[in-house]
Amino acid sequence: MNIGWVVTICLTAFFLLLAADRAGELRRDRYVWTPPAPPAAAPPPAVPPPHSDTVEDLPDGKGRDTTFYACAACHGVAIIKAQGMSRELWEASFDLMIERHRMPPTKPEERAEILDYLAEQFPPRRRSRGGDNPFLR
Amino acid sequence: MDRNNESRASRRDILAATGVIAAAAVVPSAARAQTAPAPAAPAAPAAPKTLDMPGKSKELIVLGDKPLVAEAPAHLMDDPVTPTDKFFIRNNGLVPEITGDPKAWKVKIDGEVERPMEITVGELASRFPQVSLKLMLECGGNGRAFFSPEARGNQWTNGGAGCAEWTGVRLADVLKAAGLKSSAVYTGHYGADPHLSGDATRPSISRGVRIAKALEPHTLIALKMNGQDIPLIHGGPVRLVVPGWAGSASAKWLTRIWVRDKEHDGPGMGGFSYRVPRAPIVPGSRGDEKDAVIVEAMPVRSIVTFPADGTRLPAGQRKLDLRGHAWAGETEIKSVDISVDFGVTWKAATVAPPPNKYAWQRFTASVDLPAAGYYEVWCKATDSAGVTQPFVAGNWNPQGYNGNPVNRIRVLAQA
Repeated sequence: MNIGWVVTICLTAFFLLLAADRAGELRRDRYVWTPPAPPAAAPPPAVPPPHSDTVEDLPDGKGRDTTFYACAACHGVAIIKAQGMSRELWEASFDLMIERHRMPPTKPEERAEILDYLAEQFPPRRRSRGGDNPFLR
Repeated sequence: MDRNNESRASRRDILAATGVIAAAAVVPSAARAQTAPAPAAPAAPAAPKTLDMPGKSKELIVLGDKPLVAEAPAHLMDDPVTPTDKFFIRNNGLVPEITGDPKAWKVKIDGEVERPMEITVGELASRFPQVSLKLMLECGGNGRAFFSPEARGNQWTNGGAGCAEWTGVRLADVLKAAGLKSSAVYTGHYGADPHLSGDATRPSISRGVRIAKALEPHTLIALKMNGQDIPLIHGGPVRLVVPGWAGSASAKWLTRIWVRDKEHDGPGMGGFSYRVPRAPIVPGSRGDEKDAVIVEAMPVRSIVTFPADGTRLPAGQRKLDLRGHAWAGETEIKSVDISVDFGVTWKAATVAPPPNKYAWQRFTASVDLPAAGYYEVWCKATDSAGVTQPFVAGNWNPQGYNGNPVNRIRVLAQA
């Protein structure tokens, strides 16, 4: 037999076996390389619950709407309702909003209306030390 | 790991020993608040609003939703290291939208430095040694609710504080790499949180500290909270942690540290913001802003974290094993005293040393209640300088800082 034929058959057999091996056909129990899965999408970051105050979240009274639209343009009404102060201290808060937080200036009559509303609705409160006793509920 | 198991085991032991676990299961405070019938007493306030947010405890109490501010009831502050879900939330502006690669987030160091730089989070982590420390972070207004008349701002009780484990690089190392000039005396910190109005030209807040505090080796540019990436709501991917000082210096979503040649003058540095009158003023009066000094280190504080306020002890139980945490801005707690008779008599609690400086300290005590009835457990900490807590928040100031009166919880010993 021609040596050329032997070499050709051997090489063909070798490459066929090599290809079958690389394709995993001969060693099915072995791990076969697979491309890495794209990373799972990260869960969306936990963001604060939506904020949805309305005018009705402030107690009814003269100047409520003016107060709501001036103050709630930036912050929620909870911080207003959490406080009780004299008109003088509400005025200091109002100035703080302008100076520290750069609140847009309001007309003098609007300012007076808002301060009257805040002073009337949220005056200083005497917080009773025992008023919230858990064993009274 | 061992340490955690140990602390869990000891907590179980204490719970079992006191039997309060049954009582706590019957009346968890949040559940009680929600299921309680309409209050009979006219003075009883509405149940507090609790937080509903992924990754956060539903027991956190919402003080404001724009900006989002939430505090921990004392019993949520019981863990030796505050878990992320139980950590308080304080924002001054809106929460920024973070997109893209957190490692590419840039922090600028400029001002009074030889080599101004812009460094990414990835470079911070690779260029500088990282440390992990348990550090107190506390809102400057913590304790404000104790002032009478009311002081301006969010009405925190004691829940604007937590001691998480923070991992990051020392701010000192970064400042030294930038080369501090001799003119450097103060820092100014900036974050990416937009102003509440949505106006991008207005920083929501920008405070800073004296350069000595910036160089203190526990002051960190933090990259991890409790071993994980810092959650967005807590300032991730990168924030400052300036332990022991008013939390507003610990800028979240850090974008810039401006080294100053004078006291920083960003929003939140002037007026009565984080300042108190130099001399005591009449409570409820306006005060004079020209005579105010900056709040730096936070005051001595202690809280009972177990049992919870409002616990009913099982019938017949007269022994109360309690525990809590005590801390002070720059000093170590030397003693904590407990009273169950409104301060008539006191008993010393056992106080553990802190795991590192600026971490809170565990105290434990066992007290005997003489009979069935209503008791208030008062706790009062004293620091290494001999400074203790007052009985009332008497140091009134317009924006209500340093409110640290003796803490009390209420328990009912049932017949």
